[in-house]
Amino acid sequence: MDLSQITKNQKAHITHIYAQHSLKKRLFSLGLGVGKEVEVVETSLQKNTIKITLGFSAVALRFDEAKLIEVEVA
Amino acid sequence: MKKIVIALVGQPNVGKSHLANAISGSNLKIGNFAGVTVEKATAHLSTEDFSIEFIDLPGLYSLEDFSADEKVTKDFLLTAEYDLILNVLDSTNLERNLMLTTELMELQKKMIIALNMDDEAIKEGIDINADAMSKILSIPCIRVSSKTKTNIDLLVEKILHVNKNPLVAPKMIYSDEVEEQLQTIVKFLDDKHFHATNALTNRQIAVGLLWQKKEMYAYMHEHPLYVELQPILNNALGHVYMYCQCEEIEEVINRQHSAFSTGLCAEVLRVTNAKSKNFTQAIDAVLIHKLFGIPIFIFLMWGLFQLTFSLGEIPMGWIEDSFGWLGDTVGETISNEALKSLIVDGIIAGVGSVIMFLPNIMILFLGIALLETTGYMSRAAFLLDGFFHKFGLHGKSFVPLVTGFGCSVPAYMAARTLKNKKDRLLTMFIIGFMSCGARLPVFVLFSGAFFEEEMAGNVLFGIYITGALLGLIAAKILRVTAFKGEDEPFVMEMPKYRLPSLKLLWFVVYSKSAMYIKKAGTFILLASMLIWFISSYPQNSLIEEEYTTKIEALQAQLDDAASAETVAPNKEATEETKPTEETTAELSAQDSGSLEDTIAALENEKHEKLMENTYLGLMGKVVEPFFAPLGFDWKMGVATISGLAAKEVIVSTLGVLYSLGDEVTEEDNSLREIIASNMNFASAMAFIVFVMIYLPCLAATAVFYKEAESLKYTVYLVLFTFITAWVLAFITYRTLLLFT
Repeated sequence: MDLSQITKNQKAHITHIYAQHSLKKRLFSLGLGVGKEVEVVETSLQKNTIKITLGFSAVALRFDEAKLIEVEVA
Repeated sequence: MKKIVIALVGQPNVGKSHLANAISGSNLKIGNFAGVTVEKATAHLSTEDFSIEFIDLPGLYSLEDFSADEKVTKDFLLTAEYDLILNVLDSTNLERNLMLTTELMELQKKMIIALNMDDEAIKEGIDINADAMSKILSIPCIRVSSKTKTNIDLLVEKILHVNKNPLVAPKMIYSDEVEEQLQTIVKFLDDKHFHATNALTNRQIAVGLLWQKKEMYAYMHEHPLYVELQPILNNALGHVYMYCQCEEIEEVINRQHSAFSTGLCAEVLRVTNAKSKNFTQAIDAVLIHKLFGIPIFIFLMWGLFQLTFSLGEIPMGWIEDSFGWLGDTVGETISNEALKSLIVDGIIAGVGSVIMFLPNIMILFLGIALLETTGYMSRAAFLLDGFFHKFGLHGKSFVPLVTGFGCSVPAYMAARTLKNKKDRLLTMFIIGFMSCGARLPVFVLFSGAFFEEEMAGNVLFGIYITGALLGLIAAKILRVTAFKGEDEPFVMEMPKYRLPSLKLLWFVVYSKSAMYIKKAGTFILLASMLIWFISSYPQNSLIEEEYTTKIEALQAQLDDAASAETVAPNKEATEETKPTEETTAELSAQDSGSLEDTIAALENEKHEKLMENTYLGLMGKVVEPFFAPLGFDWKMGVATISGLAAKEVIVSTLGVLYSLGDEVTEEDNSLREIIASNMNFASAMAFIVFVMIYLPCLAATAVFYKEAESLKYTVYLVLFTFITAWVLAFITYRTLLLFT
């Protein structure tokens, strides 16, 4: 299951990040990493972007990028 | 006096600038940093015999080259001369902020950690043991708050202290397995008595090599020792990969840093009552709501432009009046006609017409500063990404595009947040469509001249929206033609909502206004004088004489008629029986009326003719054929050309041109009325369209060239903007002609 399939207000643990190179590094530096708990808090109209929270911060992603993050529902 | 150069480094939205501001009080000056266009804020501290210079580097999440502005910071940190790093952290988001700190620690520079936003952290029940943290890292860590100015003095004290003393290597500990491998490499280097020429310690080299830093490899490759080092390194890497059960060094590094940050947080961070963060969530529930988000966004933008016009309108009248008064008063004291004309029609009219728009500029910049500092900007990017993506733009393009409403120069720089070169260039091409603050005077002037006052704000908003929409269409066209390529991923932080400090807002607005006034006082002043000169000289005495004689002749006739008229009533009284006489008297009265008109017309014609024969008029004649299909007269053509220097010059040029030409109608000396009576609606609208799109000023074009690093694209930009502007202005003019 990937992050784009998580419904709103659901929490999940990241199990794997399939993104490559710089995108992967960027996700890391924004605090996403294997084992981290994330929560989907908002999705935009037409399911284009999603907002997730992790720890003390929030990150916006496109659905395309969310598909690259494998998660496990907590 | 000793100078200490401090590199301010931190993740975005940790309040770096605010902290620099708090340290230096009102002594902060911001200027452009030579070469890399990083803002340099210099502050002089009077208490000590030191001057402290802050280099306010662009915020970055990590030292990888993700985007161009992060590269600026990285390059600065690696290559520039500075005394110490002041790493600013957001206390309310310690763990993630520490990820950057761990990377900075690997640079082995003198460093101080400011745990900023302490006041907020306390409110959220977050307590950081700064002493323990200082001990663990061997770096002074100080809890500060730029908002309440807590511990600012202590921070300055520490800065001076660290600067005086030799470097204490920061303690960065990796997992046992990694440490073991590092030891092996360090031991090998030590055994070989290897000493790096650039003061790097062997441990630093070992870390750099193990983390596969390109720079370190390039450096070590030069040494013959590398041949022997390579197998050891290979072996070490193999071990590390095995321990971490991962084949990618980035992931290994990330896990090491992440583990270190988590470990450190566990040691020093105490969260007593996790409440609060619902504040941001609650606002976001409304502002980025599926359905209401976009309408709210549009409403906010509309509100901004309404305010810009309606609130700016009030002091605008005062400024215009005071400049008019100044012109009259100064004019009376000067007897020399040419000098009087230079000062009143050239300098005061030109500079005054630009200064007049200062209130509008201030409101616009305040609005943009609010968008930036509150955290709404990234929400707008979130909302608009889907829409933007359809046009081949990126959600993050929103930030440079909105900045473009202020000024294209910082907007081109703001485009650095885009990673992909093509996305960046595309955004930069579109920035010109976002009408900058300097064009605002033109729009305010024209919308005020041609529309009702209640409508003017909406018209202004409409102009901006139209520009933005045209930009989107242009983006789509460019995307499918010139800038084909892969999409950049959209990943961005959504910072907490924060109320910006009034001081910081004031600082932004003040510095922008000061810049505007400075520009008006120097550049615009010179341009006004130049425009005045080339629009007054050479003085053609032949035309002058020709018209003067004509006018005098008519004046004589008029005087005759007037005397006849004054006689007439007497005749009327005495010779009521002579109706023929009466009619002639009436006739002459009518004649004198039309004579006055003819004289006024001749007077106007004289000025027109005189103007047409000046240098500017001749220039105007040259460009006239180019602008004629758009319905521009030569004055508008010249104003357009002069606008290349700076867009404000368009208004000052119009001000000079029309105040020189229309001495006849002195009773309505407001430029707005003069323009309304001298231009037809269709050409005025075509003019707005042209100004809306054509090339940003030369300064902005130069910055474009620097940022795009390509002459080819700069030439494209010039051609693209001019052709688009011309074609659209042409369409506007022709279409409006059909309806009017």
